[in-house]
Amino acid sequence: MQKQAERPEDHLSIDDLRPLPKRRRLPRRPPVIVFNPKKCTGCETCEMVCSSRNVSMVAPASSSVKVLRSDEQGTNFAILCLHCREPLCIEACPTRAIEKGKDGIVRINDLFCVECGICTMACPESAPLVEPTTGKIRKCDLCEGDPLCVKHCPEEALRFYRGKPVRWIRFLRWPVQFLVFLFLVVILVGTFCSFKAGVVSLPCPTGTLQNIAATKTVVVTGLASAMVLICLTVIFGRFFCGWFCPFGFFLDLVGRITPKFGLPAFLKSRMIKYGVLAGAVGGSAGLGFQAFCTICPIGSICRSYGAQGVVRGAELAIFPAIATLEIGERRSWCRYLCPVGAVLALAAKFGLIKIVIGAPQCKKFSCMQCAEVCPMGIIDRDALREGISPQVPMSECILCLRCVDQCPYGAAKIRFRWQKAVPGERE
Amino acid sequence: MESVEDKVEVIAQASGAYRCVECGRCVAVCPMAEMYPNFSIEMSPRGFIKKVLMTKNILEDEHLWYCTECNAGTDVCPEEVSCRDLVKGLRGLAIATGAAKEARACRSCGELYVPTPVMDYVNERLGGASLRYLDLCPSCRRRRYLLRNT
Repeated sequence: MQKQAERPEDHLSIDDLRPLPKRRRLPRRPPVIVFNPKKCTGCETCEMVCSSRNVSMVAPASSSVKVLRSDEQGTNFAILCLHCREPLCIEACPTRAIEKGKDGIVRINDLFCVECGICTMACPESAPLVEPTTGKIRKCDLCEGDPLCVKHCPEEALRFYRGKPVRWIRFLRWPVQFLVFLFLVVILVGTFCSFKAGVVSLPCPTGTLQNIAATKTVVVTGLASAMVLICLTVIFGRFFCGWFCPFGFFLDLVGRITPKFGLPAFLKSRMIKYGVLAGAVGGSAGLGFQAFCTICPIGSICRSYGAQGVVRGAELAIFPAIATLEIGERRSWCRYLCPVGAVLALAAKFGLIKIVIGAPQCKKFSCMQCAEVCPMGIIDRDALREGISPQVPMSECILCLRCVDQCPYGAAKIRFRWQKAVPGERE
Repeated sequence: MESVEDKVEVIAQASGAYRCVECGRCVAVCPMAEMYPNFSIEMSPRGFIKKVLMTKNILEDEHLWYCTECNAGTDVCPEEVSCRDLVKGLRGLAIATGAAKEARACRSCGELYVPTPVMDYVNERLGGASLRYLDLCPSCRRRRYLLRNT
């Protein structure tokens, strides 16, 4: 830390005396009190019962929960500690009095607390409350797992919640991905690029664009059939990337086992894939054949199996080579480079559906599980930290629905484009 | 009409600063030693109490604005000097007389809610250039949630 460098060497800092605990695995279903503003009547019963536990008398000033009332809007809101995943108060506390226990509950250790109020300054919601007369800091500790306020709330606006028990979308997505992989790679050898079933043919849209550029002739049936995937993308977003792409499935598998070291900054621009697309189309026009398709990892993985694959040894090496990008970030090929994704991204920009994060259920900064599981890294952590619903750019979203699956409070949802998302979405 | 010096005197009396025996227990527990690398005798509670009693123009002093108004010094003091009340009172006086240079105003309501050095410490610990909520006072932060999430 920079600060320690300035200190004389014989000075001990708090990091020597009470070092920050190592990041430990958090409980799968962390306990939290979920507050429903629609049900709250602002009766302040929670404040009373909370103070009766804190100081053994009814004195709302000493409670760990604060009810706010807005007379203009006629709405109420209860401020209470959300037991963040990465609590900022722990970072800021100069005496390291705040700890996150194994059970996920953030507690203030009274032995060390000097009541300086810095946690109140660090918290986005200012949830640690300063008692006005004594200056003591009051913060919810969930009554050690049996909160009084929840028991006594007359309108059931406060609910004690232990997260969603079953996450079922993953049990749907992995089999779909596996079956499509099996179908495209093993059964129908070499057939993502143009998949023929009788009279219907479904060529890859990027391949079609390159074909048009290379041969300079437009075959209407070919173009029309390429539009099928585009049209589906306009309706459903880039679901192909998340659910069907065989190379994406391969990357998902590889990404589970490789460590992540991050990518150099020059690669981290989501515009690169549009450049690659333009280069591929332009290159095809100049060279007279489908330039990108020869090195396309999706095509490479499709052609890798079977007699042909063994013959084309060089082509076989492409998809593992590109898969090594996984040591940078998850799905880094799909994020920054894939031209097939670029075509679909252009279509998905006008898509009909969107992912919404942050209905009133969202615990915002305290949880961040959606940002953690998102393979494309498009969920804005800063917005979550600020308590604003992040805008999910649908051109980058691959509709894998991991966020919807993961959100323990059911705050990540699929909505139509025109539906009103949530109050307070970042403009 | 009392002069400012008289008011400082009243605050010093009320907080018991005249009882200070300069034992230094408050310095040993003061969290400012951890927070600021330039922690010095003038900044420490013992030095500051002395300065309040010995010098004039204490309201102009920059060391008034480093304290976090915590309870540690008061807790351990054998003479029950409350350096917290002393600093609180002097800051209130400085704000009232318009001498408060080092206090941060809330972006939304304009209330002076935290001294700049304390906020700088929080900012540094959180790496907080991106945390825009930091320049809101606690009641405005909570109010924002009330308006936004319902």
